[in-house]
Amino acid sequence: MPKIVFVKDDGSRAEVEAAVGASAMDAAIAHGVTGIIAECGGSAACGTCHVYVESPELSRLGALTDNEDNLLGFTAADRLPNSRLSCQIIMSAELDGMVLRIPDRQI
Amino acid sequence: MTEKAQDMNVDQGVVTVDADPFSPEALRNPYPLWAQLRDAGPVVWIPKYGYYLMARHAEVQAAQQNWQNFTTSGGAGMSDIRKPGAWRKPGPIVEVDPPDHTKIRKVVNAIVSPVVVRGWRERFQRDANALVDGLLQTGRFDGVRDVAEAYVLKVFPESMGIDLNREQAIAVGDLNFNSLGPNNELVQKSREQVAPFIEWWEESLKGQTMKPGGFGEKLFLAERAGELAPGLASGLTMTFLRGGLDTTISSIGSALWLLAAHPDQWQLLKQDPALVRGVFEETLRLESPIKTNFRTTRGECTMAGITLKDDTKVQLLLGSANRDPRKWSEPDAFDIRRATAGHVALGTGIHACVGQMIARLEFDCVLNALLAKVERIELDGTPRHRMSNALHTLDELPLRVHAHA
Repeated sequence: MPKIVFVKDDGSRAEVEAAVGASAMDAAIAHGVTGIIAECGGSAACGTCHVYVESPELSRLGALTDNEDNLLGFTAADRLPNSRLSCQIIMSAELDGMVLRIPDRQI
Repeated sequence: MTEKAQDMNVDQGVVTVDADPFSPEALRNPYPLWAQLRDAGPVVWIPKYGYYLMARHAEVQAAQQNWQNFTTSGGAGMSDIRKPGAWRKPGPIVEVDPPDHTKIRKVVNAIVSPVVVRGWRERFQRDANALVDGLLQTGRFDGVRDVAEAYVLKVFPESMGIDLNREQAIAVGDLNFNSLGPNNELVQKSREQVAPFIEWWEESLKGQTMKPGGFGEKLFLAERAGELAPGLASGLTMTFLRGGLDTTISSIGSALWLLAAHPDQWQLLKQDPALVRGVFEETLRLESPIKTNFRTTRGECTMAGITLKDDTKVQLLLGSANRDPRKWSEPDAFDIRRATAGHVALGTGIHACVGQMIARLEFDCVLNALLAKVERIELDGTPRHRMSNALHTLDELPLRVHAHA
């Protein structure tokens, strides 16, 4: 299974396995990674699974949908060029090792 | 009911099922027919009405996500609103495709953004606490009338900045959801119920009565600022009332019923109140408030390897997809710890429910208030579901609760 490295606000790192086809948010929740809230359960409606993609995998992610783009306008922490909603990052083998930084707040 | 592999009117691969999804029997107890339709095939032809039907999860979800081939611009119901004789105008966001949809959705998203909705929490929780305190005076009440309706019809109109008469709001909602189906007795009956006041109702939604600070007013301000086309704000107001009241009432009512009927799940929730989110999702999955809606094919297109003809209605059975054993293990069981991601009750893709964070907040506050005060919740009579073409909701839910010692 591909791995994701979540980097928290305090600098601590959590390396978790993610099932291919599941979202990065799913992997975070399944492994109890704190800082990803996902209030809406992964339907890209709440903006509380915001992450910064800190590795070259950013270029391998699909383009933002209008909806994700919209919601990233309402995140609690600042939107940066590498901001994504982790519920919209669908895991594949080529995303193995992706580093996702979790913002200091989601609400 | 008969099934045959081919029909004169339809392409090969589509199984014809000679059934009526809107018959009184099917509306009263849809589950046997839903199972039959799921087993018949990924795409089914319904000769009685001359449309396609999808009852399995995979195809319903795929159709929701493919607005190019499965458009809502022909209307979210059975009749095509673009055809001669159409009796209503398209809904200004639900029944519109990109690029127009994208622009409108962006404006609406900002007006009821997660940040805005989060700001309502304190007021919503206070109202829920007061409501539950009132119920505990006797400990016996109706979960629909005294909780779900009372609460939703207070906080939602207040957030919008509008006064609503409760009986009228429920009657209009009943008509809205019946109208998604065929023009049957249910439609006639609900039309008669709204006839005395429907003109006043629509007039009162044209902007004059929006109170300052509500999101209704913000829609009209956006229209005045040129962000929304003229006339759109009053239409969107209707959309919010259509989508925001009966559905949330349904979800709260069904959840109370399920929790009363499954004390083991109530105990789990008592031990871990964070499971409220799971209760919401599992209730939507198992008792999907909008049982069904429609798309229209645009161009000849394929689904599950089957070719569908152009410009034909497609009925999506959301309630059936959410109980499809191909997707869910023990699909008929109520399990608040279930991984519910992927249920189609709120839609997916561009037309996913725009007010879902409001619904989540209402649901969360009501359940939090109950959890804080109530030890046990149990049925105090027989619940009764409403007969409706497209809405799945309880009308009566006698409950008894025992407060914490």
